[in-house]
Amino acid sequence: MVGSLAQPTHLPPYFKLRKVSSKSAREREREPSLFAFAMVLLQPDPFLNELTSMYERTTERGSVWVTLKRSSMKSKAKRNKMTSAGETIEYRCLVRATDGKKTISTVMECQSKLVLLSFEYKLSAKDHLRFQASYATILKAHMSALKKRERRDKKKAGDGQTKQEDLKKPPKKSSS
Amino acid sequence: MVYITSWDEFVERSIQLFRADPQSSRYVMKYRHCDGKLVLKVTDNRECLKFKTDQAQDARKMEKLNNIFFTLMTRGPDVDISEVSGKEQSEVQPTKKGRGRKQ
Repeated sequence: MVGSLAQPTHLPPYFKLRKVSSKSAREREREPSLFAFAMVLLQPDPFLNELTSMYERTTERGSVWVTLKRSSMKSKAKRNKMTSAGETIEYRCLVRATDGKKTISTVMECQSKLVLLSFEYKLSAKDHLRFQASYATILKAHMSALKKRERRDKKKAGDGQTKQEDLKKPPKKSSS
Repeated sequence: MVYITSWDEFVERSIQLFRADPQSSRYVMKYRHCDGKLVLKVTDNRECLKFKTDQAQDARKMEKLNNIFFTLMTRGPDVDISEVSGKEQSEVQPTKKGRGRKQ
């Protein structure tokens, strides 16, 4: 029964136990939202590592969704309070990734506004760029099943996945 | 849901969508390795823009869009993204040259 449904491994054991004991397997199936609570907010680097293994896990089957969203990481009530108090709300970029079973997330700090204010934020601005770069690298490394253009094989893509036809390159490359 | 076929149109409309309502807009990228498919989606829960591809060259364009959205989301929707696009364009330039085409 415990093993009947894949438990997120990152949960502390007591959480696992409580969930298993309070919900039957059927109830859990009916409530997929339960697992949405299991979203872990990670630091950028662990997030990227986790994202990498997520891509590696889904090579045979499954998909990975990555969502970018602007967020203040505050509740609506808190936001309303701040707005009425005339405070400015700092927004950041929330990055979430899921393979349908497990969800991970991280937050990118504001890049420019605070750069001048403190050294700490200067670091985070750099982190931001570094995150962007490593994120791009991960995507590049794992999106190897996409078809490359026939004319040139610059990228190491391919991976034996050459079954699809070239459907849509001409319209997109239309010269403007 | 109809997919937008033109990349430029997709980029333009999705940025427009985000700027109209940054609070509730999100940018989702779905990659399915086994089918070699990449789907990009931008939605504000009212309108939904989608772009589908199986081409590696579109993944490079997507990187650029990723950076645009990172910038928009961290620095605010009113920020000038031309520098992002400009920087990226210079990065993309070699490939463009290789193809012998200009945008």
